[in-house]
Amino acid sequence: MLILSRKAGETIVIDGRIKVTVMRVDGEAVKIGIEAPANVPVHRQEVYDEIQHSNKRALTRQKIALPKLSGRHNQPGNLGPVEAQTQKHS
Amino acid sequence: MKCLTLTDTEAPPASTATEVRLPLGILGFEQLTDYLLVANPGEEPFLWLQVKDEAALAFVVVNPFIVAPDYHPDLPQADVDFLGISDPEDVALFNIVTLHAGGRATVNLKGPIAINRHTMVGKQVVLANAADYPVEHPLPVSGAEP
Repeated sequence: MLILSRKAGETIVIDGRIKVTVMRVDGEAVKIGIEAPANVPVHRQEVYDEIQHSNKRALTRQKIALPKLSGRHNQPGNLGPVEAQTQKHS
Repeated sequence: MKCLTLTDTEAPPASTATEVRLPLGILGFEQLTDYLLVANPGEEPFLWLQVKDEAALAFVVVNPFIVAPDYHPDLPQADVDFLGISDPEDVALFNIVTLHAGGRATVNLKGPIAINRHTMVGKQVVLANAADYPVEHPLPVSGAEP
């Protein structure tokens, strides 16, 4: 792991296009600003950890009876009608 | 007396299985890349995303728009590019359901599995707007396993 020392207001540039700036240091908390192209996903590590943990809980290791969904819902086809949005985020 | 032949009755609905490849696996299961998406009659709207070579290992999945009508997933452009999606119609979304002890069921709305309908190649994506959705969205269910 590359370890660099930076002061508030100083920046690290990754791949010539991603800027990570230390905005403020306040006790134990460091406020970081990230400038990255829209096609570079930036998330807190916790999001990945949370999804990974959820996946591990969700894995079934034997055939089980599925619950019934109560209330009204559409009957999907095999792949279902999906209205996914692929809008770009800025 | 009417004599029923097979042609007089509708064929019973059959299970369907579609091969799906997730080249990067699922978060936490990166080594498991080949799956069957299995739909069994009577289990709608749930489906099984079953590990192809190990049928006992499976995830329960659901079309999120059935259980969360206000869902507006924002797929990161990098994932759209990875999957080769050029039109929203190209993508099918399935979200992983967790069956908890006590009959509670939840669905992960942060990290859907997006599948290119034409190639049947998919990826578990972390939504650009993941912060807007819970990883355990409660499902109104009855008759679950204890």
